[in-house]
Amino acid sequence: MADMRRDFKDREELVAYLREQFPEAAARSPHVSPFIGGRTSAESRLAVSKFGAEYAQTRNYVTGSVTRLSPYIRHGVLTLAEVRDAALAQVSRAEDAEKFISELGWRDYWQRVYAQVGDKIWQDLEPYKTGFTADDYADELPDDIRYGETGVRFIDDLCKELFTLGYLHNHGRMWLAAYVVHWRRVKWQAGARWFLEHLVDGDPASNNLSWQWVASTYSHKPYYYNWDNVLRFTGKKYLNASPRILGNEAFLGTYEVIARRLFPNIDLEHDHSQPHQSPPKPTRFKQDGKKDKRR
Amino acid sequence: MSDVKTVIWVHADNLNPHSQPFKLAAGAPALFVFDDALLQAWGITLKRIVFMYECLLELPVTIRRGDVLEELTRFVAEHDALRVLTSYSPSPRHAAICAALRQRLPRVRLEVLSEAPFVRAQQVDLKRFSRYWQAVKGEALTRTS
Repeated sequence: MADMRRDFKDREELVAYLREQFPEAAARSPHVSPFIGGRTSAESRLAVSKFGAEYAQTRNYVTGSVTRLSPYIRHGVLTLAEVRDAALAQVSRAEDAEKFISELGWRDYWQRVYAQVGDKIWQDLEPYKTGFTADDYADELPDDIRYGETGVRFIDDLCKELFTLGYLHNHGRMWLAAYVVHWRRVKWQAGARWFLEHLVDGDPASNNLSWQWVASTYSHKPYYYNWDNVLRFTGKKYLNASPRILGNEAFLGTYEVIARRLFPNIDLEHDHSQPHQSPPKPTRFKQDGKKDKRR
Repeated sequence: MSDVKTVIWVHADNLNPHSQPFKLAAGAPALFVFDDALLQAWGITLKRIVFMYECLLELPVTIRRGDVLEELTRFVAEHDALRVLTSYSPSPRHAAICAALRQRLPRVRLEVLSEAPFVRAQQVDLKRFSRYWQAVKGEALTRTS
């Protein structure tokens, strides 16, 4: 097969060429991510990233000071070691960058697990701890999720971000993944495949294992949340709209209420046989990572 | 610097112009192949292809698409190469292509190179992140020497 072109006068011409070369990929989703590929863009982003207190304090908020370096790290344009070194160079004490560097640790961790399990990364690494078995979950992603038309506004907003940007804030990934697996009871594999189609930073390691983490097939318990959590970390976006407009009734209530609704077969909030039940542990969906401190 | 005719096989897990293969064999012909079967299997959308292509345009690399093993074999023959350098990947697909290339071209030396690691520790308990982090945190918070 002939070599592909390298001479383009601008991004528009490149995109037009790639639409022509990869019509199936363009037909699946026509969007182009605002992330510009390449070492030059990666270095520019690295230079303006905040790794210290500002990152640690705001990273859980969808408008927080996260680095958005994950597409570059995922494709090896930046190495974990050099990003770590840049973070340490920015702070006076290594501990000040620990939050950020631990997120790099999550990527290293997932890569190591992937090297160990190989293609089994597509299988449940452990049973679900939700009171259900894998057979209780649907194999395929329902079309209303696939096309971002669930009627739950914040979920549909997240889907549109996924489709148009090829990127989601870590908290958005967690909310969307938990919605798919726990609210809609769909196998995590269906959601992971869907994310891989769209994410510019998706790979089987961080992506699949984070879905397994949410699902509880690679963690002690399922990740879930309530509307207070969404409100807190999305700022004012949904503050004054009614549940009827937002379609968010299924997320209203305390964690206890939500747990009973989602996992009626187990006493999740009071199960002291599982070490991470109470108090809740910080949770995460890996990429350039953020935590969700449950309340 | 080796006198052995060398080519570089670039893959999607390492699109860094300063990667070990480019450092070790600066100026060697390099190839990237869009893996049609994988793009199809993963249902990859245009967003990712554009991003990767922009990365590739900053690398001194020939860009092709199709079957990776076939294209790589052809590229090695085109350049009479006896050595192929590539970057490490945890992907089983990468390992399978490496194994198939070795079998198909036994006279060609394939070297898989790793970048400077995040942490050097090898034997780490991976059952949960907390165990991993406990074991590596000290090194992770130390600059690469």
